Amino acid sequence: MLEVLMYGAIAALISGTVLPLLYRSKNTRKASFGLSLISSVLLLGFAGAILYTGKEPVFPAIRYLPGLDFTLAADRLAAGFILLIAAVVPGVSIYSIEYVEHAKSEARKNLQAALTNLFILAMLMVVLAGNMVGFLIFWEIMSLSSLLLVLHDYSSEENKKAGFFYFVMTNISTAFLFLGFIILFRLTGSAEFGPLEYSASELALPFLFLFIGFGVKAGLVPFHKWLPYAHPAAPSSVSALMSGVMLKVAVYGFLRFLLSVSTPELWWGVLIITAGSLSALFGVIYALKENDIKRLLAYSSIENIGIIFTGIGLYVIFRVEGLESLALLSLAGSCFHAFNHALFKSLLFLCAGSIVHATGTRKIEAFGGLVKSMPATSALFMVGSVSIAALPPTNGFAGELLLYQAFFQSFAVTNPLLTVFLIIALSSFALTGALAAALFVKLFGITCLAMPRSEKSSLAKEVPKHMLIGPAIPAALCILGGLFSKQLLSLAGWEIEFPDLLLLGLLLGLIYAALFLIIRSKETSPARISETWGCGIPTLAPYMEYSSAGFSEPLVMIFKNIYRTKIVHRAEYFDRQESLFRNGNVEIRLLRFFEEYLYIPPARAIESFSKYVSKLQNGKLDSYVLYAFLAVIVLIIATGGFV
Amino acid sequence: MIDPLFLEGIIKILFVFVLISAGLIISTRNLSSVLTTYTIQSFLLAAVSFLLYLIDGKSQLLLLAGLTLASKVILIPYFISRIEEKIKIGRDLHFAYLEPTPSLLLSIGLILLSYTFLSKVFEGLPLTKLFFFGAVIGLSLTLMGMLVMFSRKKVVTKALGYLSMENGVLMFGLFVTELPFIIEVLIIIDLVILVMLTTILAVGMDSSIEEYRQKFRKLQVWTGVESQ
Repeated sequence: MLEVLMYGAIAALISGTVLPLLYRSKNTRKASFGLSLISSVLLLGFAGAILYTGKEPVFPAIRYLPGLDFTLAADRLAAGFILLIAAVVPGVSIYSIEYVEHAKSEARKNLQAALTNLFILAMLMVVLAGNMVGFLIFWEIMSLSSLLLVLHDYSSEENKKAGFFYFVMTNISTAFLFLGFIILFRLTGSAEFGPLEYSASELALPFLFLFIGFGVKAGLVPFHKWLPYAHPAAPSSVSALMSGVMLKVAVYGFLRFLLSVSTPELWWGVLIITAGSLSALFGVIYALKENDIKRLLAYSSIENIGIIFTGIGLYVIFRVEGLESLALLSLAGSCFHAFNHALFKSLLFLCAGSIVHATGTRKIEAFGGLVKSMPATSALFMVGSVSIAALPPTNGFAGELLLYQAFFQSFAVTNPLLTVFLIIALSSFALTGALAAALFVKLFGITCLAMPRSEKSSLAKEVPKHMLIGPAIPAALCILGGLFSKQLLSLAGWEIEFPDLLLLGLLLGLIYAALFLIIRSKETSPARISETWGCGIPTLAPYMEYSSAGFSEPLVMIFKNIYRTKIVHRAEYFDRQESLFRNGNVEIRLLRFFEEYLYIPPARAIESFSKYVSKLQNGKLDSYVLYAFLAVIVLIIATGGFV
Repeated sequence: MIDPLFLEGIIKILFVFVLISAGLIISTRNLSSVLTTYTIQSFLLAAVSFLLYLIDGKSQLLLLAGLTLASKVILIPYFISRIEEKIKIGRDLHFAYLEPTPSLLLSIGLILLSYTFLSKVFEGLPLTKLFFFGAVIGLSLTLMGMLVMFSRKKVVTKALGYLSMENGVLMFGLFVTELPFIIEVLIIIDLVILVMLTTILAVGMDSSIEEYRQKFRKLQVWTGVESQ
């Protein structure tokens, strides 16, 4: 029965990919997104049943080459992430039905529909893959289909750069995964994901390679730079999938490795927590300064991936220390936060897509007053902001609460140095939470409240109904997931000491209602509607409003050591001796630390090395024969056993 | 019947001449001399093959000697001498990467390398000294032919280098591998060389490869657009 659900979902996604390629029309696109919707419903049943009953279906292996089996497997971990896919996809598909119609040409619209289905299928198959071969194959399909989606609007120079950046980073990720898997394959002699009972020194190298490989894809600092480039370039529905699901697929891969290791080392956990905390902190700090709504959300994704990895690191440390129940708690927190982030980040990206579509700009400074012109979108956007800022009783609060609980109980760790380390990590985690709240107050406030800051914003109109129903699904799930978090966790088999947020939610609701009624009944005179007092200025203009930069200024001052500026000179001269000045400019801009010190130098080194190598190819026959000659000599020396 | 030991002695002397001819192909500047040297080398090979026939009595060896004589001593040199008559230049003065003296020194190194290499490879195999030397000479001849191919500029010399390399393969095959197979392969290779030579003949055999390309461009053989 379970198998039927899964094969049905795969078949739906395949036909959703093929259909729009065959015939270009609005109906095929609708059918395509409908098929992905159907597949997500089937997957919901499939994953939910596995999580609830704990029965894992067994699929027959398909052998396509000797030594290369293709197996599918769905254990509880995979089921959890399939559930995540199934939760995000419905909103995105419904939203895309309308959203995709804004693409420039018919061909691109159909291509986007087909690629979206392919992308979902690839992500699903990565999670379902039973061995490394299948995992890597679908991982590549996932990367390439998402690359094509990022390059959807390939005509602009900025998007081309984003696509190239993403392409390079995703290949680096795959290269490290290959290295890690090859070492594991040599160690175990099989490509299956089995338990790894080896000494820590044997597993150190594969751990590092897989950590980097999955870290690049997940967007951990310092490998995060592709995210803020790729997300603004991609269509919003794709951003929602990439940020909501694809990053989690990388988390899934990392967990798949980590959970199969029987004896992890302490330094693994310390490394993971350090990288996670840094990602969380840097992500939110960079986001605070950002003025592009989609780039801001991309940085926020980096922050949340950091939180998820912090939880994974805690899991490793507690396991090493022998605290199994705490380890389980952190793992549950991490997975639950991954699930929650998938929901509210896809919600936020979908809303951002609507806002960008309505106003025609991505600049936060140009928004404002959208709560009047786009009330439904603004309400949905607020649900997302509240959830991601981890306010009770939403799911964001529930997820982070689990991690806080794990952190608070870390006094059980006996090693004093480790305790100090965990306290530092906890304080940075808390700081991240506070900054994230500030960030989303700013984002929602500047975007939706007050008066429109630009003409574009004042002309904004509410989006069509599909683009409202789509984000409404994750929004509802955000609230329900928070209220019923305890019940959901126990349904999934995690019996954890956890407050009942349903009760808390009801209490909060009652208090708000009571307060409202008390104020209403005690008010001395009826409400008076008038303009805000403007310090004597007769009419208030939008330029007097709190701006995005103004809001984040105090925080920017506090973290001014991180926001270093750089002065860039550029001058042109008439002559070679550079004495006759033609023109030039000087700009002061934010120092792109990671890009300028971590990314560009190796890129330059590779470039100069390849220039050197390309000299070998000089177009002369003599040289080529010489190379062949040298190769023969080397072969003789090598096979003759002289070396 | 002639005494096999005497025949082996003669084959060993012929080996020395083969090596000398290879050295001459590397260093001679006069094109017609190179061709003559190649003809002599091929003839030496035919002779070695014939002498081996006298020792072993295998008819394939006689066949091989005849084939070599017909194709490499008569037919191919005849074609190349026709070209050399047609082209204006009689000498190949330029060398790439290696001048004649270093080339010769390198070839000594190559012979030593093949000797040590093959003595390791054939360790424990029941191979008589004569056959072992034949294999060493064959391998060195192959490597030296390759050396000619990259160190000489003119196409004619390069072709002769290739042919000399092919002679090395024949030599190696005579002494080490199974004969019927190698005969078939050799005939095919020879035919390919013949076809190759005759097709390229008409245009600029007198030039280096780069100039050759230019000529082709002018004739619009490769790309009609580029030449405009």
